[in-house]
Amino acid sequence: MKVTFNWLKDFVDIKLSPQALADKLTMAGIEVSAIEEKYGDYVFEIEITSNRADWLSVIGLAREVAAITGAKMKEPKVPKATSPRGKSSGSLSIQIEDPKDCPLYTAKIIRGVKVEASPDWMRKRLELVGVRSVNNIVDITNYVLFETGEPLHAFDLDKLSGPQIYMRRARPGEKIAAIDEKIYNLNPGILVIADKTKPIAIAGVMGGKESEVNFNTKNILLEAAVFNPVVIRRSRRQIGLNSESSYRFERGVPQEAAISASHRACGLILDLSAGELTLAKQQGKITSKFRSINVNNEQVNKILGVNVKPALIKSGLSALGFKVKAKTKNSFIVTVPAFRPDVAICEDVVEEISRVYGYDRIPVTLPSIKPQLTGHSSRDLIASVKNTLVCLGLNEVVTYSMVDKALLADFNLNPDNETVEILNPLSRDQGVLRPSLIPSLASRIAFNLNRKQEYINIFETADIYCWQAGKDMPVEAPALGLAFCGSRSLFFEHGSTKDSAGFLHAKGVISALFEKLKFPLPRFSEAPDNSSVIKVFIKNEEIGRVVILPKRLLERLDIKNRQVCIAEIRLDKAMPFTVNKKSFKELPAYPAIARDISVLLKQDVSLDEVIAGIKTQAGPALESVKIVDFYKGKQIPGGFIGITISCVYRSLERTLLETEVAPLHEKIVALLEAKFEAKLR
Amino acid sequence: MQANDFESIRIQAESEAVTISTPQGLEEFRLKYLGRKGLLARASAIIPTLSQEERAEFGRKLNILKKALTVLVEEKAKTVAAKDSGSSINRIDLGLPGIAQELGRLHPITQVIDEICALFTRMGFIVVEGPEIETEYNNFTGLNIPLEHPSRDTFDTFYLKPKTDNLKPATKYLLRSHTSPVQVRAMKSRKPPLSIVVPGRVYRPDAVDASHSFMFHQVEGFLVDKGIKFSDLKGILEVFAKGIFGENIKMRFRPHFFPFTEPSAEVDISCIICQGKGCSVCGRKGWLEVLGCGMIHPNVFKHVGINAKTYTGFAFGMGVERIAMLKYGINDIRLFFENDLRFLKQF
Repeated sequence: MKVTFNWLKDFVDIKLSPQALADKLTMAGIEVSAIEEKYGDYVFEIEITSNRADWLSVIGLAREVAAITGAKMKEPKVPKATSPRGKSSGSLSIQIEDPKDCPLYTAKIIRGVKVEASPDWMRKRLELVGVRSVNNIVDITNYVLFETGEPLHAFDLDKLSGPQIYMRRARPGEKIAAIDEKIYNLNPGILVIADKTKPIAIAGVMGGKESEVNFNTKNILLEAAVFNPVVIRRSRRQIGLNSESSYRFERGVPQEAAISASHRACGLILDLSAGELTLAKQQGKITSKFRSINVNNEQVNKILGVNVKPALIKSGLSALGFKVKAKTKNSFIVTVPAFRPDVAICEDVVEEISRVYGYDRIPVTLPSIKPQLTGHSSRDLIASVKNTLVCLGLNEVVTYSMVDKALLADFNLNPDNETVEILNPLSRDQGVLRPSLIPSLASRIAFNLNRKQEYINIFETADIYCWQAGKDMPVEAPALGLAFCGSRSLFFEHGSTKDSAGFLHAKGVISALFEKLKFPLPRFSEAPDNSSVIKVFIKNEEIGRVVILPKRLLERLDIKNRQVCIAEIRLDKAMPFTVNKKSFKELPAYPAIARDISVLLKQDVSLDEVIAGIKTQAGPALESVKIVDFYKGKQIPGGFIGITISCVYRSLERTLLETEVAPLHEKIVALLEAKFEAKLR
Repeated sequence: MQANDFESIRIQAESEAVTISTPQGLEEFRLKYLGRKGLLARASAIIPTLSQEERAEFGRKLNILKKALTVLVEEKAKTVAAKDSGSSINRIDLGLPGIAQELGRLHPITQVIDEICALFTRMGFIVVEGPEIETEYNNFTGLNIPLEHPSRDTFDTFYLKPKTDNLKPATKYLLRSHTSPVQVRAMKSRKPPLSIVVPGRVYRPDAVDASHSFMFHQVEGFLVDKGIKFSDLKGILEVFAKGIFGENIKMRFRPHFFPFTEPSAEVDISCIICQGKGCSVCGRKGWLEVLGCGMIHPNVFKHVGINAKTYTGFAFGMGVERIAMLKYGINDIRLFFENDLRFLKQF
C-alpha cells in the first residue's frame, strides 16, 4: 500500500528525512520498497505482512512511527458532528440476516449535500496514494479509508427503493452492475447489501453503479460496517474483483474503527458539502474483547538472548497502544488494544518489544549442538546414486513432478484408479502426478534434440506417485530414470569410433551403478508381450525396466531418425538388496590359466544361457567367464554372431596344470557345439 | 702419453661434440672416448710402465678429463633427446583429444542443496527428508496456520483429487507448499535436542514466469533444545550466509510474520552483485532477501507434544532456486527445469 510522508506528519512529528524514516520502518517490519517525490510530498510504497491490518491506515502507521522514533502521537481530531443536530427525521430499518457475516452495520443519512469536485489538497493526497478523484463525497469515503483503515461507502439515498437496508447473501441468479461498469453474477456464497428489491453493493468489495453518488445526488446514506473477513475473501475470489475495501476487510477491521471512521467521514462531509445529518443508526453491537497477557523481563530475555530493561518494555509497548500495568519491578500485565487481534500470547508481545528494541541490537551467539547419528539413510544412497552416475558421464536433470494425463496414456502409464490427479492444476499439461519418470525424460530428450544436442545421456532421481488398492494415501516412492539418445565420437589411441546410444548403454550404466551400490548384479529379460520393453530384475524381484521408445511415441514427441532408450529403476524396491558390509577376501596365491574360445552362434541363442551353461559345465575350477569380443557383419554368415569368450581357471590350493585345464575346456567346447549349435572359428 | 696430450684430447672432444645432432652420433662419440676400448681406456694402458710419482699425476689428470667428458656427454644428451622427440616418427600430437570418460554434472539445484546441507552438517545438523504428498494437518494445522488462512486456498496450494473408489469420506491430501511439514513429522518422531535440515521439492500454483515456478525447492532447518535464543538463530544463520556467499557478506534481520514462528524475521544479505551499492538485481536497495526464520511458535510445540516451557527452538527456510540464481547469476528460473545440456554443463 501507499502512504505519504506529509499525511503521516498529520499524526506524528517526524524529525527524520524520508529516506531515514523508510530505513527505520523497514527495520521495524514495515518494508518500504520505494520512495517517490511528488507535489512536495514523498510517497512510500510499503509491503505489509498479513497479520497487521492496523498498518493499512495512515493512523496505524503513524502510531508505529511514534513508537520507533520516540515521538509523540497526535491523536486524530475529534469529529464535529456525531449525531443529528435536531431531532432525527425520517426512518431507516437495517436488517442483518446473519450477524456472523456482518457483526456491525452503521448508517448515517445526510441530506442536502452539494456534490462537487473535492478541494485540491484532498485530490492530490488521493492521487499520491493511487486513488482517482471522483467527487467530494466519494473522495471523502476514500480519504477516510486510507486514514483510518475502515472502508466506507456512500449510497445515493434517492436511488434506493425505500428506507430499508438488508445485509444478506445473494440469491441464486441475482446480478449487479458495479461501479466499475461491469456486471457480476452473484450466488449465495457472496454477501450483498440490498434494498427491498435488489442488491445495491457487493458487501465489502464494491458498490453498485445504480446507487453511486454523482453530481446530481442530494441525499446520501453513509455506510460503515464490519464484515466477516472469510466471507469477503470468498466473495472477492468468486467474482474475481480486488478493491481497497476488500483488501482491508479480508484482513480484519476492528469494530471500533467503523464507528470512529463514520464520525470522521460525516464530519468531513458536513464541512465540505454543506449537508445536514438527519439520522444515525447502528445495527449490531461491538463485541471485541480486550486480552491481557502476563509478561516478565526474564521471559523476554530468555527468548531474545539480550537484556532488555523493564523501562524500555513499558515505554515501547505503551507507544504501540498497549496498556502496561506493572505487577512487580520486572513483570507486567499487558492489555492488547482492539486493533491488534494478532497479539495473543507472551511471544507475540516479545516480538513487539524486540521490534522497538531493534533486531539489529540483538547479539550474535552460537548454540552448542549435540551430535546426532541418525540422519536419513535413503538420502545417502540417493547421493551415492547421483555421484556414481555423474562419474559414469551422465548429466542430472530436474523435471516437474506433474505431467499431462494424455502423455501418460500414450506411454500406457495411465491405469484406472491409479493415477493421482490434481484437483486444481494450473493447466492440463500438469494435471497429474507422474507414476513414472519415463515420459518426463523422453520430453527432455526431445527438448535437447530440438536444441541441436547430438548426444544426450541424462538421469533424474525423484519420487513417483500412484494410488494403490487398499491404501488410503497415495504411494510416493523414489525412482531413478536414465535416458540415452544420439551418437558421439569415442577416442582411442588408434583413432575414433562412432558410439550410438542404445540398450547396452543403459545396461552398462545400471550394472556399474549396482556394483558400486553393492546391489546384486541386475538381470535383464525381454517382456514376452512387448519387444520394446526389457524388464530388470534383482534375483526374482522386478525392480525396473528399460524401454526402447517405439515409433509411435517418437512421432508423438517429434523425434526423427533417432533411437531413444529410457530406463527406470524403482529405488525403493532395489534398496532392500543393499549389502552394507564390506569384507576382505584373501587374494589368490596361485596363478590362473586363461583360455579364449571364439565361436559363431545363431542370433537367437541367449548369451545369458550360454554363460550359465559354461559355468555349470566347468565346475569350481572356472574362476570367471566373460564375453570379451563381439562382432557381426560381412565376415559372418547371415543370422549368426561371432563372440569370443574368455575363461579363467584357477585353484586356490595349488598351481593348476595345463593337463587339468585342457579336458575342462574341451567339455565347454563340446557343450557349446552340442547344446547351442556353436561353430568353432 | 704426455701431460699436454690430455689437454689436446679435451679440445678435440669439445670441437667434435658441437657437431653431434643425433643419439646415434652421441653414442659413437661416447664409445670413442669413454668406451671400454675408447681413447681414455687405451691411454691408461701405459700406467703400469710409469713410476710411482708419475702414476699419481697421470691418474689425477685422467680422472679430471674423464669427468669433463662425462659431463659433456650428459649435457649433450639433453639437447639431442629433446630434438629427437620432435623429429621421430613415433611423435605424439599433443593437440589430439585426451582419452577419458566424459564428465557428467549434478544439476545446479542439487549442487546448491548439497552445499547448504554440507555446511549445516559441519555445524552438527543432520539431514532428514519427508514426503511431498502431505495432509492438511502437517502442512498447515500443525504449523499454527489457521483453518481460514489464505495459503490454504486452492489458489495457493495444490490439492489432490480424492481416490475415486473410496467410500469413506476421503482425507484431503495436498502437495506440500513448503518443507515445514517435516518439522511436524520430525518433532513428533524424535526427541529434543534436535538440529535438522530438510531439503526437498515444494509446490505452489504460481503461473510460470522468469521468477516463479509451480515447483521449486526449499531447505528448511530447525534447532530445538533447552535455552535456544533468538541470538543463537542470528549466529547460525551468519555462519550459513558467510559459508554460502563469502566471508565479506553483511546480513540484517527484519521483523516479519510467519504463523509458525514468533518472533519472526526475514533475512537480507548485502547484495553480492553490487556489494550493497544498489543495482538492478537488488532493486537499488543494496540488500537481497534470502530467507525467513524465527523462534518456533509455542503452538507448534503444542501440536507435536514438545513442552514449550522446557524447550525453545528456532526454524528457518529458504528457496534453493533463489540462492542458486544469486550465486551463479542465473536470470530465469525456467532454465532449471528446461534442462538444456548446454545449461547443465556450465555447473
